[in-house]
Amino acid sequence: MFENLAAGFIAAFSLPNLGALFFGTVVGIVVGILPGLGPMVGMVVLLPFSFAFPPDVALSLLLGVFCGGYFGGGIPAVLMRTPGVPSSLITSFDGYPLTQKGEAQTALSAVLLGSFAGGIISVFILAFLAPILAHVAASFGPPEYLTVAVFGVVLVVMAFRDRLAQGLMLLGLGFWFSTVGIDGATLSPRFTFGTLAMQNGLHIIPICLGLFGIGQTLLLLERNILTTDSMNLSRSTLDFSKLWVVLRYWKTLIRSGVIGTFVGLLPGTGSILASFMSYDMAKRFSKEKDRFGKGTPEGCLASEAGNNAVPAGAMIPLLTLGIPGDALSAVLLGVFTINGIYPGPLLLIKEPVLINTIYWSMLLINLVAFIILVIWLRPFAMIVKVPGRLLAVVIMVVSVVGIYAVNTRLFDAEVAVAMGVLGYILLRLNWPIVNLVMGVVLGEIVEDRLRQTLSLGEGSLSILFDRPICVFVILLTVLIIAVPLIMDRRRKHH
Amino acid sequence: MGADEESKSRIHDLVGAILGAFALVMLVTIRRQIDTSGPDPFYKGPMIFPLIVLSLILGGSLPSLWRLVRSDGSASWRLDGRGFPTSSLRVLGLLILYLAGLIYLGLEISTCAFLFVSLWIVGQRSGAKLIGIPIGVTVVLYVVFKYFLDVWFPTPVLWELLVE
Repeated sequence: MFENLAAGFIAAFSLPNLGALFFGTVVGIVVGILPGLGPMVGMVVLLPFSFAFPPDVALSLLLGVFCGGYFGGGIPAVLMRTPGVPSSLITSFDGYPLTQKGEAQTALSAVLLGSFAGGIISVFILAFLAPILAHVAASFGPPEYLTVAVFGVVLVVMAFRDRLAQGLMLLGLGFWFSTVGIDGATLSPRFTFGTLAMQNGLHIIPICLGLFGIGQTLLLLERNILTTDSMNLSRSTLDFSKLWVVLRYWKTLIRSGVIGTFVGLLPGTGSILASFMSYDMAKRFSKEKDRFGKGTPEGCLASEAGNNAVPAGAMIPLLTLGIPGDALSAVLLGVFTINGIYPGPLLLIKEPVLINTIYWSMLLINLVAFIILVIWLRPFAMIVKVPGRLLAVVIMVVSVVGIYAVNTRLFDAEVAVAMGVLGYILLRLNWPIVNLVMGVVLGEIVEDRLRQTLSLGEGSLSILFDRPICVFVILLTVLIIAVPLIMDRRRKHH
Repeated sequence: MGADEESKSRIHDLVGAILGAFALVMLVTIRRQIDTSGPDPFYKGPMIFPLIVLSLILGGSLPSLWRLVRSDGSASWRLDGRGFPTSSLRVLGLLILYLAGLIYLGLEISTCAFLFVSLWIVGQRSGAKLIGIPIGVTVVLYVVFKYFLDVWFPTPVLWELLVE
């Protein structure tokens, strides 16, 4: 175990890995600070470049964007009440009032310390929980995987239950995308419409790049340019004395990090819920409840610790079950599979050095992001003034060329543009686009396990009820559907 | 604008109905779309999952279809008050042309042209930015993809014609 930990440490501190994680973190902070972009856009744009690197370096690059994005998102939320990433909206509840009172440095100290601690706590939980879950998952057969995947799908659908019909349609569409091409088991062509290009199927990378790299940026073209001259910062670096003020709330910090990790672990729940739950719990346990919403560093701290714990939390089901918890970890799954590495319970046994490199890299990313923002707070905060429209057209062209470069196939670029159109429409309609991505990612897993389970049961799914883990997960799935619906109904009656 | 208010727009119902119609067409023509000549029983075959997912899309689209047909007058075609996306559509059209440009004009010329026209469309009027950004981005893309990553790009058709 310690050999692997040491080997991971050495790999994480290698020059290419340090360079990749530093660059990824900077890109992540930038796209996190810029409202309307977010870590997903940063990840999909860097994705084609990542294929030139070994898997550990590629993952560090993208994890840097993933974590850095959440670090950056809190800054415009505090300074301008404009969240860089959606989950930072909760940070603005207390961050912006503090800025108005002339205490922007205190709010930003809470944001950065919260993000840093949330990230570190979640990596420790990941390192502790992943082997335990992998050990449990090692006994999984196709029926168990099927029920877990369906549980994940149901969680995603129920997370957007106010748009249930739309969510189901998009999930179905994502599943359908995953069926296009040659069927792996029977080698039958499916929905290829007689074309050779479609036989390779619709890969997750051009789909994600199109939906987010092009769709999101098309939407950005319609946003007004942010015009702000005042950043209300007394100095260009972070005021260290404020960090000690914020450290008073260390219990909130730990609690929020733990909540964020466990929320991130559940598929489809996302960082907004993590932020909100952490904030809500902080308010309940606080001695200064009245200050929440009026400007308390404790609120900023809780929200940011919660959302920055999500990336490591989302890695837990990805590494141990091969099931990504959200669209961002779905992209990471793409990096694994393109490099011939298949996440699942055996990954921790087969690739222990890679896993330990990921742990160390995630710790380093959080440290690097914290240090970068502590030192260059004002320069990074000023990025918010870069016109989004200029960036949008540049991102589009980089996305198209990048996706072509992955397989040197123009068809992939055409798919990305088509998905960009679809993504733009869905984003403009505010439909739950994450359902579509999860459908594409989980489609192959669900289909393979369904067919294997049906084969085991000779055409019947009753085999699921003979297996204790399946029964437990099915009961959990029923609860996940029933409880929110009952609560919604009660709320309506009241 | 909340989810309830937004979903009153008939555009939501129209998109839902289009998705439903697409799923219906795929379901009706599924035997022509999937080769099922193999010896496997149905439950092992390649058609079972597509049937389930297309039914899921169709089922999800039924409320939209119902609302679209019923049209009780309380809903409108207004979406979010952000107006018609003229610049987005123009840039999107250019992006499609850019794909063709990669084949006919090559990476360098088409990238420069796309960025120049797109920046103009989105309201950029500074000469330095209109020229500097396209050239800068093209140089970066050339260096990264052609020089460092050694990615093959098709020889521009126009160039081949000129050489001949």
